[in-house]
Amino acid sequence: MGFMEATLSQYFLNCSSGEGCEGMREVLLNTGSTIEEGRLAKGGNKLGPEYVEECAVCEISHVDYAELGFPDRVRIWTPDRKHSVAVHARPARSLQPGQIFMPRAIWSNLVVDPDTFSTGSPLYKGSPVIIEPTQEDVLSAAEIVRRHYSRGKR
Amino acid sequence: MMFRNLVCPVCGASCDDIQVEMTAEGIVAKNACKMGNAKFQELASPHRIRQPLICQGGEMLPSGWEEALDRAADILASSSRPLIFIGSETSCEAMEVGLHLGEYLGGVVDSNSTVCHGPTAMGIQEAGRVGATAGQSKNRADLTVYWGSNPLESMPRHMSRYAVYPRGYWTRRGRFDRTVITVDPRRSLTAENSDLHIQLNPNTDFELLSALLALLHGQQPHPSAEEVTGVAIRQMEEMLELMKGCNYGVIYAGLGMASSYGKHRNAEMAFHLVQELNNHTKFVIGALRGHCNVAGFNQVASYLYGYPFGLDFSRGYPRYNPGEFTAVDLLRERDVDAALVVCADLVSHFPADCASYLGEIPMICIDIASCPTTMLSDVVLPGVIDAMECDGTFYRLDDVPIYFQPFTASPFPFTASNQHTLQQLMERVRGRKEAGS
Ligand code: SF4
Repeated sequence: MGFMEATLSQYFLNCSSGEGCEGMREVLLNTGSTIEEGRLAKGGNKLGPEYVEECAVCEISHVDYAELGFPDRVRIWTPDRKHSVAVHARPARSLQPGQIFMPRAIWSNLVVDPDTFSTGSPLYKGSPVIIEPTQEDVLSAAEIVRRHYSRGKR
Repeated sequence: MMFRNLVCPVCGASCDDIQVEMTAEGIVAKNACKMGNAKFQELASPHRIRQPLICQGGEMLPSGWEEALDRAADILASSSRPLIFIGSETSCEAMEVGLHLGEYLGGVVDSNSTVCHGPTAMGIQEAGRVGATAGQSKNRADLTVYWGSNPLESMPRHMSRYAVYPRGYWTRRGRFDRTVITVDPRRSLTAENSDLHIQLNPNTDFELLSALLALLHGQQPHPSAEEVTGVAIRQMEEMLELMKGCNYGVIYAGLGMASSYGKHRNAEMAFHLVQELNNHTKFVIGALRGHCNVAGFNQVASYLYGYPFGLDFSRGYPRYNPGEFTAVDLLRERDVDAALVVCADLVSHFPADCASYLGEIPMICIDIASCPTTMLSDVVLPGVIDAMECDGTFYRLDDVPIYFQPFTASPFPFTASNQHTLQQLMERVRGRKEAGS
């Protein structure tokens, strides 16, 4: 078993046998800046539809994308299945198989590993996640806040 | 009317050559990139928060300034362990007041610099850093290494202003006098525009840096290094030859190094590599600090209290222990009972467990536009845009202080700057605490 597989299998105990995990893939999530995310965020547009189109997106290596059946949307789960988010799926040649990229925004941060390894900084790069094709709608940033974060308020 | 030599308050490049023309049709910002231009448009934007808001019955309702300040002061004064989180798009002067407020309340003060290059700062504490100003690197560097950074999308003018394209004193032909290497698991825009792209596996920066150090010491890395990092030893040798052979090299470390597994140990190893490269040539390293004044918080907190981020004042004196007194960890562990968030959208940019806890505790927010954090706040105080509407100081990505002056004034009669807002809040909190004691 190679190093990466060993690393991944530590995190995906539920799926390492493959049982009940058809159509799913265990991947590493890389989040980061995109110039359009920056333009929209700095322009005060975080609650608008353009921001959803730019940021509620998951770029998938074209190899994995084909194996997932060319989905329009995917659901991304944390390995412990506590959090998940549906986003638009796009194939990307810039990525190696086993990796996905999402713009840094409320959608990607829903599934980023909150452990900071005693540094104060979460795993914005290289978080283990599970992706699967989905038919579910992609929520706007305001809907995410209402559905996931408004406990006790509003 | 045209204003010249303005400072852009968006990213760590702190570009100080922006020209703004205010016309009847709107604002024209010259020299600014897409991100900078979007921020200059915020001056007249319909998204701008123009009055204080208070949450009543689950709805955000407009309120008077005094009423909003009173409610904010009540929240902070009655909290036993408040988190004061200071974002990067505000001045060092505002950060100073925020730190004093945290000390006065016995709370915890943290900032964007923690989730940005906090691990890099820890790496510097471990290993020390050979650094340089952006101007030195512009004039001298014939080798630029973007390690885990993608400036074309995070700091759009970095390549054209400081690192790759400008003509320097010893790099007169600009791009033609420089070699560019990008180390990134993804073939990013920056990687596409580089001479060499090292496409390592995610989370293997430490291993690649260690292998390069072994090669520099004249030893062969363990053969497993190829499989682990995904980079052929032959390619590592090629990269190292470029690094040893240049006249002046610079590594711009990004979050690819600081945010992935290894964290501060990645940074520490990079600093060691750079130190040893100086046995062969001149080599420096710096963080590509994406957010505006993140470097400023490290500077201000260090000179006031001795620690660069994550300061806990609960015992009356500053304590520092990343992973314990840092915002993500405190929120994940539900270890604070109120939050003051200044110019940062924590609900969008923190992991779900942290964002969801912010939805449970009283929160005050100072910001210029609506965002998920303002949606979950109990009090929203309108933000003033630094470098456009008030003066102050930012620290650039290379830790050089840049004093900025405004070209217009705060649009609010009740506050002149975020520093002023925090000062007013501090006075009110002090009044409550003294009345109660
Ligand atoms: S590079 Fe950064 S500082 Fe310069 S104009 Fe763009 S956003 Fe502003």
